[in-house]
Amino acid sequence: MAVVAFSAAETPATPRATSRRHAIRRFKFSLLAPLIALFAFVLVPVLLLQLYFSFHQWTVYLGSWWDADYVGLDTFKDVLTDPRFGRAILRSLAFATGSTVGCFVFGFALAYLMYRPFRGQAFYYIIFILPMLTVPVVVAYTAEMMLYQSGPINDLISRLSGIEFKAAWLSNPDLALTTVSLLEIWNWTPFTFIIMLAGLAAIPKEPIEAAEILGASKWRIFWEVQLPLLRPVILLALVLRFLEAMAEFPKTWALFQGGPGSATETLPVYIFITTWQYFDISKGAAMSYIVMLLMIVIVLGAIQLLRREKRSLDKMYAQLEDPKEA
Amino acid sequence: MTRFKISRRTFVEGGLGLTVANFLPGTTPFASAATMEESTIAAAKASGAAADVSGMIWSPYLVPMQPVIADFKKATGIGVGAVQDISIFDAPQRAMAEALSHSPQFDFIHIDSNMIPSLASAGYLEPLDEYMKKANFKIEAVGDYGTFMTYDGHTYGVPTDGNVHIQYVRKDLIEDPDNKKRFADKFGKELKFPETWEEEKRIQEFLMDPSKDLYGSGNLRNRANGPTWWYMIFYSAGGFPFDDDMRPTLNTPAGQYAVDIYLQDKKVNHPEAANWGTPQQIPRIAQGHVVACQYWDGTAKLNENPEKSKTTGKWLYGLVPGSDFSGKRIHRSISSPLAAILINKYSPRKAQAAYLALWLGSGKNSIPIVTDPVNTFNDAWAKEHMTSDAVKKAYSPAGVKAIETNFQVVAPPIYLTGYLEFQDALGKNLSEAFVGQLPAKDVLKKTEDEWTAIIRRIGQSKLKKDLASYKALMPKRATPA
Repeated sequence: MAVVAFSAAETPATPRATSRRHAIRRFKFSLLAPLIALFAFVLVPVLLLQLYFSFHQWTVYLGSWWDADYVGLDTFKDVLTDPRFGRAILRSLAFATGSTVGCFVFGFALAYLMYRPFRGQAFYYIIFILPMLTVPVVVAYTAEMMLYQSGPINDLISRLSGIEFKAAWLSNPDLALTTVSLLEIWNWTPFTFIIMLAGLAAIPKEPIEAAEILGASKWRIFWEVQLPLLRPVILLALVLRFLEAMAEFPKTWALFQGGPGSATETLPVYIFITTWQYFDISKGAAMSYIVMLLMIVIVLGAIQLLRREKRSLDKMYAQLEDPKEA
Repeated sequence: MTRFKISRRTFVEGGLGLTVANFLPGTTPFASAATMEESTIAAAKASGAAADVSGMIWSPYLVPMQPVIADFKKATGIGVGAVQDISIFDAPQRAMAEALSHSPQFDFIHIDSNMIPSLASAGYLEPLDEYMKKANFKIEAVGDYGTFMTYDGHTYGVPTDGNVHIQYVRKDLIEDPDNKKRFADKFGKELKFPETWEEEKRIQEFLMDPSKDLYGSGNLRNRANGPTWWYMIFYSAGGFPFDDDMRPTLNTPAGQYAVDIYLQDKKVNHPEAANWGTPQQIPRIAQGHVVACQYWDGTAKLNENPEKSKTTGKWLYGLVPGSDFSGKRIHRSISSPLAAILINKYSPRKAQAAYLALWLGSGKNSIPIVTDPVNTFNDAWAKEHMTSDAVKKAYSPAGVKAIETNFQVVAPPIYLTGYLEFQDALGKNLSEAFVGQLPAKDVLKKTEDEWTAIIRRIGQSKLKKDLASYKALMPKRATPA
């Protein structure tokens, strides 16, 4: 690289090269322009307005938003000392963690079964991604019909196990969040499946073939060759799924509206209730900001991890290409 | 420019002619006998250009209105154009978003009338008093029910759906001689239509048989609807949720009594009732899986439709139970959500929308709306409905009688600005107690604390003003005449 940089500095730029450079710059800008415009004219004003609301107490019944009283950090203090908000965070974290792990386990397992070509693969591929194409509200209402105590799911489990199974999926507060988690896993396992399938397909064949020649068992190849090479993909799948799960609203709302009791009052549900049921726009805005900051922290942590994984992978590939570097 | 001279003689003769014409049949607009419907048409025509108005309404409510709207369109050129089909349970959030943005998108909204204080306070609603005056229109509702459309001295809505709770008891079970004997042997009392909450619980417990999928109660105990039932018990025990200074008064003996009765339903309701709403309970009532309950009056229409019900002719309808807790017998029914048409103040077609609402809200015009056998969402509410053969056929004569009786003691839920917030706080805490997440003794204390915070945020003085409108809606009599 240093040699190239030196030669570039030495060679005077021809008019053609300058024009080409400008054209490339224009092309890059034209590609980015819609995104920049969207960010500048849609996202930034919304974020600024939300910031305004979170620093002002706007009582929607008493006046217009521009007349709202400045309250400084009071609303943030109110949110951070609200035990209901704390419980909503815990519920969301539990839900997101459980459903992400579930999606990953099933998605990876399916991807592992599917990544080598076989007859009828396309058919199974379509079947496996169907749940992801189903609208979440439809998933919720369909599940509702199947999950009654005397519904087909309990009946099926009873028949298969030979024990009378009467789980109250929809009315037991200790089970309600698990019910939504299971639906989330069903709905979004295909997402992890697709990512992991792409990751498995992208693994170079050489290290696997080398391990096979050396007599490594399938399990050892999976554990010591494939899995380390898949680590960045796994991390990406987990992070994306976790962030999506933190924002899950349609199924939880359609099935439970936060109940029974407050068993399914997750962050999105509580923010919705606060903003659109209580019309406490200021508190809703402050909560959204806090959640956004939480998400940014998670994403930054994930980016750091991804970079580290990429560096270690680069190192591993370099060693494979040039064993002297080892 | 021509100048007309009117002599004294001509003036007197003309006046006499007009006076005579006023008494001749068929000489409207001079005839004093013009019906409310005719006056509404005349006022609508005079209000301006014909137009199709847009609105937010849930389709099961709209479908039975369509023939009536078509008649109005024929007479005035005013009809309904674009419609946003939103469930009545989701409409408040959407309506408030419209109010906050001062949006002219909808000319009318069809919504729970308990949202009137919130929407009027947010400046969204057009008062209907002037339109009513011009159309010589009155909300001719049973009892004092018409006041449910008023707030701060103005009328803001026209009802399309009474939605009053009536008492349902399985006639075949309660009149069964074997059951009567067993009941008398066990309790030393006659098995009869329950008059108090305690009597109802006893009957429900006695007649339920879970092995046959027959449960004592079909009442709702989910987070969204539960408070509706709780208010009936609380009001009947002599309770009212606020004092004159807008301090919550829930944590009282009357409040605790209501919580106890409310939670006893767990013993007699289906095990999954904690999360069940109307989609689950209404079919169970009509298919014969419930002994007794309070429910919206439209369910009587469903029960009496042999094509949709297995219990046609098997029900007794009557007054909801009362309580002697306060020292005298008080019965309180409830109407919530009371679906009504409200007019958007920012609409360029508010006059047309207002007259259409009045047209749909006349006793005569609303008969086909409240008797639709398939879309049974709009329930009877007008005086004229109570004597109509079509209504009696749809609800059964006993059903109509029960509706009329309950309307005399009907109360609203919280009728204040911030209604949804008060409602959700109470609903959440009652639901937590129902599923065992919160001790029963803490429900009212916790709710009072949350309500105090709501009052502080909305403003105590503002809500104190609202309190007068709320109290004006409360029934004046303890029991029906």
